[in-house]
Amino acid sequence: MTRSFRKGLSFFSVLALLATLLAACSGNKTPESSPSGSASPTPSASASSPSPSASASAEGPVDGGTLTVSTFSDIVAVNPLFVGDTSSGDLETLIFAKLYDLDRNANLTAEPWSLAAELPQISADGLTYTIKLKTTPKWTDGKPVTADDVIFTFDTARNADAGSPLVSQYDKIEKMTKVDDQTVEIKLKQVYAPFQYALYQSIVPAHVLKDVPVKELKEHTYGVDPAKTVTSGPWKWTEWKKGQYIAVESYPEYWGEKKPHIAKVITKIYADQQTEVQALMKGDVDMTQAIPLTQIEAVKKDEDITVILAPGPQYEYVQFNFKDENFPDKYSPFKGQKTRQAIAYALNRQGMVDNVLKGSGALMNSPFLPGSWADPGDAAVNYEYSADKAKALLAEDGWKPGKDGILEKDGHRFSFELQYNSGNSRREGVSAIIQQNLKDVGIEVKPRGIDFATWIDQNITPGKFPAILLGWSLTNPDPDAESIFSSKYFPPAGQNGGWYVNEKLDEMWVKGQQVIDQAERAKIYKEIGKEISIDLPYVFLYQYGLPQGVNTKVVKWAEDDRPESQLAYGYLFHAINWWVDRK
Amino acid sequence: MIHAAPGGPTQIFLAPGLSPEAGEIQAHNLGLDRPIPEQYIKWLGNFLQGDLGKTFKNNIPVGDLLWPTVGNTMVLMGAAWLVSLLIAIPWGIYNSTREYGLSDQTASFISYLGFAMPTFWFGIILQQFFAMKLDLLPLSDMWTMGEEGNLSDLFLHLVLPVTVLSITFLAAYVKYSRASMLEVLNQDYIRTARAKGLKERKVVFRHALRNALIPIITILGLDLPILVGGAALTESVFNWPGMGRLFVEMAVSREYSVLMSITLVVSVMVVIGNLIADILYAIVDPRVQFGQGGSAS
Repeated sequence: MTRSFRKGLSFFSVLALLATLLAACSGNKTPESSPSGSASPTPSASASSPSPSASASAEGPVDGGTLTVSTFSDIVAVNPLFVGDTSSGDLETLIFAKLYDLDRNANLTAEPWSLAAELPQISADGLTYTIKLKTTPKWTDGKPVTADDVIFTFDTARNADAGSPLVSQYDKIEKMTKVDDQTVEIKLKQVYAPFQYALYQSIVPAHVLKDVPVKELKEHTYGVDPAKTVTSGPWKWTEWKKGQYIAVESYPEYWGEKKPHIAKVITKIYADQQTEVQALMKGDVDMTQAIPLTQIEAVKKDEDITVILAPGPQYEYVQFNFKDENFPDKYSPFKGQKTRQAIAYALNRQGMVDNVLKGSGALMNSPFLPGSWADPGDAAVNYEYSADKAKALLAEDGWKPGKDGILEKDGHRFSFELQYNSGNSRREGVSAIIQQNLKDVGIEVKPRGIDFATWIDQNITPGKFPAILLGWSLTNPDPDAESIFSSKYFPPAGQNGGWYVNEKLDEMWVKGQQVIDQAERAKIYKEIGKEISIDLPYVFLYQYGLPQGVNTKVVKWAEDDRPESQLAYGYLFHAINWWVDRK
Repeated sequence: MIHAAPGGPTQIFLAPGLSPEAGEIQAHNLGLDRPIPEQYIKWLGNFLQGDLGKTFKNNIPVGDLLWPTVGNTMVLMGAAWLVSLLIAIPWGIYNSTREYGLSDQTASFISYLGFAMPTFWFGIILQQFFAMKLDLLPLSDMWTMGEEGNLSDLFLHLVLPVTVLSITFLAAYVKYSRASMLEVLNQDYIRTARAKGLKERKVVFRHALRNALIPIITILGLDLPILVGGAALTESVFNWPGMGRLFVEMAVSREYSVLMSITLVVSVMVVIGNLIADILYAIVDPRVQFGQGGSAS
């Protein structure tokens, strides 16, 4: 499962701080309805911005031209087996063909630009996946893409020696068989429904990499040298001027029936976000991935720029620790279910969405993204802000006001440290609201910002913290989150750093992995959503998005191909169908 | 010092949530589990063979990252330095002859402004006005895409960042040249020269200036490394692909070998700066001589 902590924009704050110090001394074709039936229409662009496709149908697509996008960090390496940062992921999206693609609702699809010809056939016992490739795909060096490439990619990913972050997605594979050049049969060790999303994966060329010792793959020039990076996507990588820009170009030999309209995509790297936004407004760049929340109003005033303000595939939460030894007085105040519910009531979550996120967020009541097929909807309890309900629940759970107004129980003051990563302005704002909201009901919160890398290493990974404010980025659309919430996954092996135990949920997570039928699975996640929202290992706060800025005078797409904020790389959703018009 | 900072390269680029064991294996492969002096000696050894090392995160040779930025920074800082010198020294001299006149007062005011104004803020103001509102000059970068190598394009891109940087340099240099001229102009030999009936122009340029230049050259020699180190903030605001920006980015991702190499380049420039200053002493002041036993200075 590829989930990673969302560091947010903190990198920039760190950068800005350092800089100050230094200066001082020197997609889908047709929006299909989700088979589960539970999915609601995806929340698209917010009401405050005009629909970006309004002018799209007036004139048809034109071929050629350059699309310039901006980013705030350079790529690391674009070998899909090792991609771990979003900049590299964006480039991967442009130059690699994936086995399958995702539609707007995160269902697996076989698109004209996918390597697979049709959806995988899953055997009745749920153990065998048969994948049929198209006969047409070719690598940029002219060799055909075959079953060998697929087997090589998955084999390398699951090989611990390779050190690929994808290892957990493929370690359930028992064996892979090449039936013919276009057919692969994958047998799993156990029924594991999330495996379908492991097929939403870029394939690497076996003929280029098979002779490289597996341990040296990560250091190989494949993925850092454009000339040596053989790919099979709509564009090919032509240039990397480190720290400045990355260029990809369409090429006549591309195998797909559908060719990209845009001839060249340049990704410019900006060190300063203020300059990045100015460059968008000046027209130096046509699209930017993340406008700082503080600058949204200024950008909206520009008529040419459309701001797509929709929540993305990441959510933020307050996590409680259930282990007594993580508190100074060796007592976790969060053990009472009513206490946790009281905290949920006490927090003004809508206020956070309105004031801190400025419309780029939406409330979350469970770990499943609103609008996704696993969204439990109303089955999850929505704790509406009410200090009175919170106080009543706290009293029921045995908390009584102490001398200083702070609640006490069995001689323990209700006071705890809330950790977050310093420099993240969103979390700074939200932690201040949490502090105030909980003070109103008699709980003392001491917010503490810690350097991200140190924090992850010292507190998060080993599960040593009283309470945290953090986010999860859901790069894999599968709702399975066993390794976060199950008591089988305590640190260091798992990510249940709060030492949360709920045996009923433990069983349900496993059940969710063992049912293949998506509608049936959705029912299980509905149950999980209900249970988890009552028991509250986390208080789920909101999902949030990175406001995307697009110069819609230049960049055009048909309505069906508009960017999809809900998907991890949805900001380039169906970019193959976009075109640029500089009239 | 960077080793003392919490965190480390592996923690930043390893997928968070990967087990600590995996982190240790990674650290071992990269040689990060070796004692710091050993890491340093190994780096030094490689360096002497012309190998600056590779980045931790993606194995790119450090030289590939570093050398282009050195040139870019030199272009920017060199231009700013030259502009400020060409303005500051004549202006300082002029002001020293007309103490507390209007021109002198203006220079004082600009100096205060130059010292006090945050460069990034001034940069943003200039960008807003000249690039956004008037649309006269490019907003940022070193070249327009596809115009790499076109000198007039480079010139346009230089105007704003050079203005920002010049103001800071100018502030100091006007002050220095004025003060050092004033000191010289009060010397006895200047009075003698004037008493001999020499023209004021000749007194100022022949007799006073050469002596007044010596302290200025010292300052210039000391400032030379700054030219290479770059101005991280100005480079960031104007998206200039220079060494200052690289240093900040690499400090964030704890790329020790890049940071060491930058420090090294700057150190080399300190030495070169001092050497150039020494040579210039000899040119402006014939009393300064090298390698002849006891010196006369």
